[in-house]
This record gives sequence, structure tokens and C-alpha cells, in this order.
Amino acid sequence: MEIYPFLPKTNCKKCGYPTCMAFALALLQGKAKVDDCTPLIDEKKYKENHEKLKELMGGAEGKEKELHIDVDKDLCDGCGICVTACPVNARYCLPTLSGKAPDYPPEKHQLFQVTDGKCELLDLKSCRRIEAEGRERECTVCENYCPRKAIKINYV
Amino acid sequence: MMRINCSGCSLLCDDILVNTNGTIIEQVIGACKKGKQRMDQLNAKNRIISPMIRKNKELQKVSWEEALNKVKEIVKNSSKPLLYGFSTTSCEAQLKGLELAKRINGFIDSNSIICQGKVLNAAKDSGITLTTLAEIINKADLLILWGANIADSIPRLLNKALFSRGKFRLTGREIKTIIIIDPIKTASFEVMQMRDTALYIQSDKDIDLIRFLKEKISTSKEISENKIAGLDKEDLKRLIINLTNAEYGVIFVGQGLLRPNPEYNVLKELIELVRVINSKNEKGRISLTLLGGHYNMIGFEHVSLSFYGKNHSLQFSDNILIKTSDTIVSKVANDDFDCSIIVGTDPISNFPYFLSNKLASKPLILIDNKKSATMEVADVFLPSSLTGIECDGLAYRFDHVPIQLKKILNPPNGVLSDEEILNNIIKKINNK
Repeated sequence: MEIYPFLPKTNCKKCGYPTCMAFALALLQGKAKVDDCTPLIDEKKYKENHEKLKELMGGAEGKEKELHIDVDKDLCDGCGICVTACPVNARYCLPTLSGKAPDYPPEKHQLFQVTDGKCELLDLKSCRRIEAEGRERECTVCENYCPRKAIKINYV
Repeated sequence: MMRINCSGCSLLCDDILVNTNGTIIEQVIGACKKGKQRMDQLNAKNRIISPMIRKNKELQKVSWEEALNKVKEIVKNSSKPLLYGFSTTSCEAQLKGLELAKRINGFIDSNSIICQGKVLNAAKDSGITLTTLAEIINKADLLILWGANIADSIPRLLNKALFSRGKFRLTGREIKTIIIIDPIKTASFEVMQMRDTALYIQSDKDIDLIRFLKEKISTSKEISENKIAGLDKEDLKRLIINLTNAEYGVIFVGQGLLRPNPEYNVLKELIELVRVINSKNEKGRISLTLLGGHYNMIGFEHVSLSFYGKNHSLQFSDNILIKTSDTIVSKVANDDFDCSIIVGTDPISNFPYFLSNKLASKPLILIDNKKSATMEVADVFLPSSLTGIECDGLAYRFDHVPIQLKKILNPPNGVLSDEEILNNIIKKINNK
């Protein structure tokens, strides 16, 4: 993430979030503003960081942003690593534990499925980034483990 | 929705679901790009569904009767026929091919002699430790890719071996280590994480690494050299620690180790190295695995070994098997044949020019399902159906496990299976 290096990284909790990483995530999702981090305004050594952050966020502060997971169909080759590695798939679809493809019709909470040789995203509501709490909200397993770098997580 | 076994590569996945409407396949769930390509071959643009003969330098459509008569004429006028291919056909068709070779006093060989069959031939004196896919999924915690690029050739094998949560490895990817030995960076390097090692070895120097490892592991001396085959001392130490402390390790042998050399035999020394590691490792053991591209390359070795006693390069004369040290390469290079029957493969584009030139200059009979470079020089073309979709058959997976392939659709009108075509050729030759 590009936001985290510009924060104080002291975890002082003055913004109301437990860690600087959680504050950065809330900034991305539009639930917090840059000015909520009071050390950035009060202390002189963070003046440059403050201006850079304001520039990065642009006019989109404070607006509620949605999670989007994009799969590039030209790069994908259907290996199915995202189906096996996703922790939500592993919890609700038993065949993925030994590397097999899940059954059809898909389960209620299943996220990924390989159709016609390409990966397809079924239902975003069950993703861990929306439903879970704590450190599990920063889950980036599908983006990290894809060997062709075809999956991208962004907030729009 | 019905469940079928895919026949795209030698992994033979059994968890594929397809949706058909009676004539074509509409939707495929679970298969990678290679499996989808195999399903698309049903109604591809380059598929040919009628027999053909070359008249006046052009291929023309004819009936089955006329095509088989021409085959009989070519075979009767030759005394040293050659049969080659058989790695994309079922085991029943391979048995018919052996019977045909015995009937016409021919020489028969399969694709495995220029591919993974070399490893099995190197193991004739000493034996070899192999493993199966279920053991890899449930127990493996160390994977070594030596000269293999699995992400491109068998896409789902990385998924099943590295990312799965088997019975004794429920934590999944985080507890497994992968080491890749390759001169250049390939697509398989993208799955590496913190505790994995990438070894950029110098080209053709695998024998130095094998001999170094054998000496250090069996005598437990300190490493004094700075660089071996282009690798640093720290990387070599880590490799030795991983090899001697693994609970269940697997080495995938790829095409990078199969180049022949007149001075030494890399594969024999690799098998000896695995034996040395297993005697020093107290916790577990290391095994080897062979990979293959075509889906029934191992099947030919099993069929010919069980029925005729030899697993490659069989030469028949007067209805018995005689001793020979020839292979398909030496037979073609020495011009020691006068006609050839090619089944399910494309040697004109895969062999080097000086060999394919000689193959093309003699009469050639092709049994295949699509247009290829070999069809441009063939004298007779006989269309066959796809095993695993349009006809039944038995096939052997890359770890020597037999899998039954089933029929779910009817082939196009007038197209027969490989087994029926070879049977018709035998019956035609037997008739006076």
C-alpha cells in the first residue's frame, strides 16, 4: 500500500484505531480522514508527510468506497491456485482441501470457480475483507499467490 | 452436469464437470487451459473427419475401403516397416499396435524413448524410488523442481502439490518449502515466498552439483569451495540442510536433465544421490517423480513389458521378438526402413530436419484427428476419435496409476477409434 509509509507508525491510537495499519485501511475505505491523525498536524517533522498524504487522497476523502477484486482474463491460465488457497473456500468447500475442484452448483459462501479454463469470481459478499474482524481484514492471499499476477484488489 | 476424467495432460484430473447437449460440450468447470483446449478439439477448425489418399500430389477424400486397400498395398511392398507414436492413444490401441507390428515384421517404438523413458532405462540396474500423487498431497513438505517448469506444462500440479491441505499438512502452503534449480527465470518462480530458494545453476553443470552433494552428504565434511556450478556457499548449505532434514521430499525431473552426454550418465548419478540421501536422513526420505506431456506415455511401457517382455524399441522378425540395440532415432538416421505408420503424433515438426527429411521421403501412413505438418507429407490419412470423450480406454497417469477414461458423446459419422482402425488394418492384411 502506498499510504502506510507516510504515517508516523507509532500506533499511538489518537485517531481511534488500534494500529497505523488499521488507520491506513480505514483511509482507503473512506471511513476516516487524513486530519484524524493529530500527530501529523501537531508535530513539525511530519509536515511533508501530511501534504503528501493530502495529495494522494485527492478529493476522495470521506466518501464510502467499495471493494473490487478484478481478474484479468488474458493473463489467467486456469491453474486454480486461487480456489485452493482462499481461506473462505477452504472453510466451506471440503474438496478444495486436497486440491480438487468444488462441486456444482457452487456453495453459498464460495468465492472462486474455474469456468471454461479461466478464473471467475462468484460472490464478493463472503470475502474476508468485508466480513471478518481484526487482522483478518487485511487478507491478500489471492493477490499474492497468483503466479501470473492476474488478480488485483482495489477500492473504488 | 456429469463428471469425467480429463485427458489433456499426464495428470488425468478426475474432478472435472461438463455440460453437454448431446453433440458438443457447452461448459467446463474445474479444468485448466490445457483441458479446455482438449475439449475444444471436438469441433475445432483443423479437425478432419474423412479418410484421404494422395493422388497427383494432392490429398483427396475417399472411402474407408479404398484407404485400407492402399494401406495394404504399401505394407505388402515393404520389408522393413516402422511404427511410431502411441502416446496419445488408449492401452487397448497400444496392444493392437504391437500385434500389427508382430504381423508385418516391423519395428515399433513410442514417444517415451526421447522423453521420460530415459529415466526408467537408467534405473534398470539399481531400481528407483517413485511416489504417487496422494502421498505428495498428504505428506510432502519439500518439493524440488530440477529442470522443470510446471507452471507452464502441467498448470494444476502446483495447485495440488503445493497449495493443498493434506491430512498431515493441514496448514497448507506455509509449511512447505519449494526449491527450483534452473538456469533462467521461468513462470514457476512466481510462487516462491520467504523460506524458498531459487538456484540459478550454470547451463549443463548439473553433474557437478550432483557429485558435490554426494560427497558432502556421505562424508559430512565442511564446505571449502566458494562456488560450485555457479551457486554460492550459503545456498548450498541451505540445500543440504533441507535435503537431510525433510520428512517427505519429492524431486520432479524435467526436460532439463534429459540431454545425453557420451562421458557420463546424469540420471544414473541422480538415482545414486537419492539413495545416499535416504541412508543419511533419519526422519524421512526423498523420492523421484517423472513428468510427461502426453496423457498415456507411461501406458506403452507397461503394456509392452507385460505382454512382450521389453518396454521400448521392439523389433519383430518371423513372428518373434529379436534382440536389437536400435531406437527410432538410429533406425531413421541410418535409413534402415522403407515405410512408416505414425499414430497420434507429429514427428515432422518435432524431429530435427535431417531425420524428418528421411521420414518424409518414404511412404507414410498417418492415424490422427487433426491437420498437422505430418499430414502435408502423408500418403494415406485415417481419421480417429478422441479418447476420453468419444471412446473408452485405459490410460496411465504420470505416477503409474491406471485411470479409466469413459465415453460421453458419439464421434462424427464415419470416424472410428484407434483400436478399431488398427484392427481393420490387421484384418485387411490377413485376407487373401
